Amino acid sequence: MMLRNLKFALNSAWQSFWRNLAVSLAAVLSITLILILAGINLLVGHAFSQVLQTFRDRVSEISINVSDDTPLQNVYEFQQQLAADPRVSSVQFITKEQALAQFKADPQNVVFAQQIEGNPLDAKLDVHVKNLSDVAAIDTLARRWPGVDPTDPTNYQGDFVNRMLELSSWLSLAGVALLVVLMVVSVVIVMNTIRTAVYHRRKEIEIMKLVGATEWFVRGPFVLEGVMTGLIAAAIALALLVVAYPPAVDQFKSDVGFIPLTYDPAFISNLAQDLLLAGALLGALGSYIGVRRYVRI
Amino acid sequence: MVLTPDFETRPVISFQHVFKKYPTGTEALRDINLEVPEGDFLFLVGPSGAGKSTLVRLLIREEKPTKGKIFVDGVELGRMKRRKLPYYRRKVGLVFQDFKLLPNLTIYENVAFALRVLGEADHNVRSRVAEALDTVSLSGKENTYPANLSGGEQQRVAIARALVHAPRFIIADEPTGNLDPATAWEIMQLFLRINARGATVVMATHNREIVDLLRRRVIAIDAGQIARDDRSGRYHDDVAKSQVRA
Repeated sequence: MMLRNLKFALNSAWQSFWRNLAVSLAAVLSITLILILAGINLLVGHAFSQVLQTFRDRVSEISINVSDDTPLQNVYEFQQQLAADPRVSSVQFITKEQALAQFKADPQNVVFAQQIEGNPLDAKLDVHVKNLSDVAAIDTLARRWPGVDPTDPTNYQGDFVNRMLELSSWLSLAGVALLVVLMVVSVVIVMNTIRTAVYHRRKEIEIMKLVGATEWFVRGPFVLEGVMTGLIAAAIALALLVVAYPPAVDQFKSDVGFIPLTYDPAFISNLAQDLLLAGALLGALGSYIGVRRYVRI
Repeated sequence: MVLTPDFETRPVISFQHVFKKYPTGTEALRDINLEVPEGDFLFLVGPSGAGKSTLVRLLIREEKPTKGKIFVDGVELGRMKRRKLPYYRRKVGLVFQDFKLLPNLTIYENVAFALRVLGEADHNVRSRVAEALDTVSLSGKENTYPANLSGGEQQRVAIARALVHAPRFIIADEPTGNLDPATAWEIMQLFLRINARGATVVMATHNREIVDLLRRRVIAIDAGQIARDDRSGRYHDDVAKSQVRA
């Protein structure tokens, strides 16, 4: 009997979707638009977190410049002290020669490199800090070390790091807020669209109730129709986003080159999952609420 | 064959001091006391606005009484839980003046609807719908849509839907109100046949000729009260044998 009811519900959901095509399409369209907005939000959020990750990787590395007269023994000792620090993930010693070779290898420095005489560069300790917020403490530690180059102790730019940290927390907060707003707006829109669809069929519902249909028997087809509508909308939104994502990244890269944004195909499957799930849930929830007023006996 | 209702056994429908006042302040029914034995055929008559429709709506529990109790088949309608209501409605076959057919379903689908709701198996649905359509002489019109039928035919479809699940009660609100006299008479024959099979029939009507011809139980309602309850009455109490049963 459960199966028969399900079959009936699926049947009538499918029929009513096509019979009320105009209203169905309106619902699909509004859910599609909302899911596109949500998808863009997710993509932009993902892009930001990608960019932020790159920045984090960069600023969580701090270079401690070693003055030329520091004995090698002291440098090793300090390197070991840092390596033993739980906040540090790795320390690498770069000799003056290696530093020069690195400098010359960078294509941006071609002109400078030709003019350099001798080796003006310091040897340095490249320290990878595990947690971005611990970089300042490592910097303080390094500045107290007697072997540091007093004229240019480290490459740490506290302000920049702090601002990055602040920015990243604000951005994730804004992303979440935007998603919440989108969700609320979409449930309201879906609910009203589906309520219109239900209004057209209130006579059918009345008759169903009069011949003794249970509330779930009446509701079932509408909720299934909502899920169907949501899934169709999600598929359309997803297709549009997938098509638009790579060119949008390319355009962005050519416009704002210094921000390291990349196309991430792996994110598409995440996006697909999220959108399909959101579409189905929105459709179901919207129908459930939309039909409630008419189902209450 | 006419089944004689047994007035001695416990009634299947019973109204006990029922009052209905709408939120607007209208007092639709006042102190209604009524007992209907199994197998009875009952006309509710009275001028428009007298309270007939309210009584019907109380019977199908579209409304609850403000005061008093209504028992149907041993269950008090006013205290019935909302989720039990569908199961109550399945015991009742409903026929309305405006037929209440679904325009986008065929005749077959309209009648089958009452069984689908019960979760009946397909082969059961087929045979029972065929039987019901045969009873109302509409075999062969299965694939027609309601809009292509006459008013009388549409009402016959509604009756087929009301009886397809073999309900114990048929409640009809002005079933002949939209039909010409000849068609109304055909429809009444159907109700009589359903009653002869054992179903209790309660019918609100304005149709004087039919009530006077059939001489069944007549309950006249006036200004929200029972003015007359006659075991084989007429539409108007012109024979001066008024007798109010409490």
